[in-house]
Amino acid sequence: MDYSILLAQAALNGLVIGAMYMLMAVGFTLVFGIMRVVNFAHGEFYMLGAFTGFFTYVHWEMPFVVCLAIAALTSGVLGMLVERTLIQPFRSDEMSGMIATLAISVIIQNGAVMLWGPVPRAMPDIVTGTLTIGPFSFSWSRLVVIAAAALIFIAFWLFMQRTRLGRAMRAVAQDTETALIQGIRVNYIYPLAFGMSVALAALAGALMGPVFSVSPFVGLTPMLKAFVVVILGGLGSVPGAVVGGLMLGMIESFTATMFGSLVSDILQLLLVILILLVRPAGLLGQREA
Amino acid sequence: MEGQVASAVGQGGSRLAARRRFLPGVAIAALLAAALALPQLTANQFYVHLANLILLNSIFAVSLGLIATVGQISLGHAAFVAAGAYISALAALSFKLPPILGIVLAGLVMGLAAVLLGKILLRLRGVYFVLVTFLAGQVFTLVVLNWESVTHGANGLIGIPAISLFGFPLSTRLRFYYFALAAFVLVVTFVWALMRSQYGRAFRSIAENIRLAESSGIDVSHYQVVAFALGSGIAGAAGAAMVHYVRFLSPDSFTFHDSVAYITMLVVGGRHSMIGGVLGALFLTPLPELLRGFVGAQHIIYGAILLAVLMFIPNGLVSVGKSLLAKVTDTEGPE
Amino acid sequence: MRGFLKLALLSTACAVCSCPASAQTLKLGVLATLSGAGTAWGMAMQGAAELAAEDVNGKGGLEVGGKKYKIEVVAYDDHYKAADALTAFNRVVFDDGIKYVVGPLGSAPALALLPVSTENKVITMTMAFTPKALSAEYKYSFRPVIPSDVFSDPQIKWVAQKLGAKRIGGLFPNDESGQQVGAANEAAYQAVGAKFVAKEFFERERVDFVPLLTRVLAQNIDAFELNGNSPQTAGLLVKQLRELGFKGPIIRTGGDATADLLKIAGKEATENVYVHQPINAESPAIQEYTKRFEAKYKVPLNAFSPFFYANVQMTFAAMQKAGTVTDTDKVREAMLGLKDFETVLGKVNWIGEAQWKSNQQLDAPFYVALLKGGAPQVVAKCTPKLCE
Repeated sequence: MDYSILLAQAALNGLVIGAMYMLMAVGFTLVFGIMRVVNFAHGEFYMLGAFTGFFTYVHWEMPFVVCLAIAALTSGVLGMLVERTLIQPFRSDEMSGMIATLAISVIIQNGAVMLWGPVPRAMPDIVTGTLTIGPFSFSWSRLVVIAAAALIFIAFWLFMQRTRLGRAMRAVAQDTETALIQGIRVNYIYPLAFGMSVALAALAGALMGPVFSVSPFVGLTPMLKAFVVVILGGLGSVPGAVVGGLMLGMIESFTATMFGSLVSDILQLLLVILILLVRPAGLLGQREA
Repeated sequence: MEGQVASAVGQGGSRLAARRRFLPGVAIAALLAAALALPQLTANQFYVHLANLILLNSIFAVSLGLIATVGQISLGHAAFVAAGAYISALAALSFKLPPILGIVLAGLVMGLAAVLLGKILLRLRGVYFVLVTFLAGQVFTLVVLNWESVTHGANGLIGIPAISLFGFPLSTRLRFYYFALAAFVLVVTFVWALMRSQYGRAFRSIAENIRLAESSGIDVSHYQVVAFALGSGIAGAAGAAMVHYVRFLSPDSFTFHDSVAYITMLVVGGRHSMIGGVLGALFLTPLPELLRGFVGAQHIIYGAILLAVLMFIPNGLVSVGKSLLAKVTDTEGPE
Repeated sequence: MRGFLKLALLSTACAVCSCPASAQTLKLGVLATLSGAGTAWGMAMQGAAELAAEDVNGKGGLEVGGKKYKIEVVAYDDHYKAADALTAFNRVVFDDGIKYVVGPLGSAPALALLPVSTENKVITMTMAFTPKALSAEYKYSFRPVIPSDVFSDPQIKWVAQKLGAKRIGGLFPNDESGQQVGAANEAAYQAVGAKFVAKEFFERERVDFVPLLTRVLAQNIDAFELNGNSPQTAGLLVKQLRELGFKGPIIRTGGDATADLLKIAGKEATENVYVHQPINAESPAIQEYTKRFEAKYKVPLNAFSPFFYANVQMTFAAMQKAGTVTDTDKVREAMLGLKDFETVLGKVNWIGEAQWKSNQQLDAPFYVALLKGGAPQVVAKCTPKLCE
């Protein structure tokens, strides 16, 4: 295997995991930007999305696009309910809110273990086969993930920029008090934003199900990575989440391919700690007033 | 504790006040007596083991609480515990350092490390500090896992010697219990005295309003570093004590999950009180054991309890205790 | 401080009523990982204990020294954490008063527990591949499963020679088992003239192996070693290897993972995969056990289960021979005295004196199988000395 194949492979893989990290991070940063909540349960919604995708695709045999829609909707609705009942009480207390989301994640994860058992499920590829261009071969299933993630993000971006609701959300993120004065119903925005955020996570989970398998414990790592990306890109910055997600995916892929996974993991963490110390707002974040 | 209860209960008549001043002292004496007698009441070694875990967890939680008094929550506390454990274990295994000295060494080294780290990390506040301590904890775990030549990586360290006091080894659960009890009393007394001193007052004003504290001339970063160093140093020493009890150490022994557990104990017990950590540890340590029969539901119940406490008793069990106490000692008006 | 009082009350109550195993019930403990990555193995152990107990209870109980005992299985989950295993074990020994434990699972928990079990004369049947689990000082520790120390040499010799493979690549989890197995494998391959040219370690929770596999494949390997990875990881490795275009043989010189390999990687990807098979799936005794296990637990049988089943049966037989259920020294002696004991695995014995100064390792035949069209086909039968 020569260098060009190595690089191409690493690049493709970087894009795939970068795409997943981006979806996770965008949702995570949205919630933090609007509601100042660090959602420790974010990864569990990824897991729920993976399971929903698994059941609808494998057991009900629906077309994958429908499966994705169902995953997004169910998680979104669940997210809204969770926000209204369990997170709203902590609006004035960041720390308690954070710990509450921790408790929620424990409940969801173990609920999944009770319902579906701890044994991982194998989800078949959505598209089989490989695309061969000269000496390079890329598996279609991974290319599909990249394409789908891109489409989902574009839809999200259009929503945030072009619709009234999206603009209202951005207003709340910028300055809650002014938004209230402007008549924006903050009490509706919050659950909606939370629901959207976890719906994105669920989509990431459903997309990655065939690539990484489905079990109650798959949510942990994506959440940790979301943390890292969001710090990298800036807490509350959506463009930061996109850039940060793709960057982290690439960094991870290349350092792991060059130096092995252990070095790669430590490097990523050190990089992020450095950013936090030197420029806590991240690459594209706002300076905290 | 005395000062807190007296002020919380408000200005009563002088007779009432006098009674109240005696009450906590009597209560503490009674509890101490009970604690000393406890292991004699049961032949069941498992309960003694549980008591040991409770005492150690209390120290972990109280030391975390110390850092919280300056308004910073560390999500990497377990890393300090683990580092202290490794220092003492390696010192005992490689240099035959007596464990009791190893514990002291661990405390001093971790305290010093916290001073150095604190000067850098404590520049961040609030959520950012939480995140950076979380990440630092992860880095620590990875380093310990991979630095095999020193830590034996995932294999861990076995055969770690027990603490030996004047040639008398604390190799049974019962013997360790008395040691742990003594350590616990020492730590709690120290923290109580600290909080009553000038330091405690400075800590509290920083937690309440950092800008106000700064403008009134308090050197915020100095006090934050002090709190961080003391809290982490105590944690390191306690970690060392624990490792000479369990006598086995691996990167799995103290992880992010444990950091979360300590925070949970602190919050459930009561974040704003000194004995919050103790109550939290008391309540939460045996809980997984009591629920062990319901494998699966066990964790969910744990999470649900945490959530319920957060929602309905936000100031933790301590606040429940205080309102009961208030009712018992006939205060006028609500807290 | 209410909790403290409660604890005091509880302990007084228990000291008074002090519950040892009643004259009619004999408790059999299970301490294993019942959640997370090692669950397949944990359930194999729990199932084995429960099925063996069922056998005996169905006949009215285990008759020892003139009394009949009903076997009660008490199971604890250790989450594959040494600290949790230790706490659970404390409970097993001191709270439940159990003297026979199926477990622990994993080298880390085993190393943490063995001093305690030895001190309290508790007989353990452990699934830990580390050579430190068996030694002259751990008198009560038995190992029913055949560790890679024992099976990898003959298997690797046979497979490497057959395939003529010289450059081997492999991925190992960065934990006790992974490091152990990795070292053993490397030595075994070297002994037959093959070299481990690519050896990568990864965090246990990792599921994305493509960067690491890319790195390994860049070394132009002849064959890939799956060794001691968990069944799920092994499946993902095979799948991702094939996706990267690797068509060479893949070797599993590690615990049974065949069911997961097929489920996760699929039929096509698992062509040309050599697996270690601890049991002969074609033997009628095994097939019957498999059917019984799968009907009761609704998960595919993990091949470690029959070994624990056999060990529990031997323990029962040893109790009967020794005439006691409480004197574990006598039971241990009796167990070691069992020769050519008939089990679902065939005739088994105890070995290990030479390697570990303690002959508490179960000796049973094992096999090498090749996966073809989604099913394992036995291609060689092995003893600790050689395969053919």
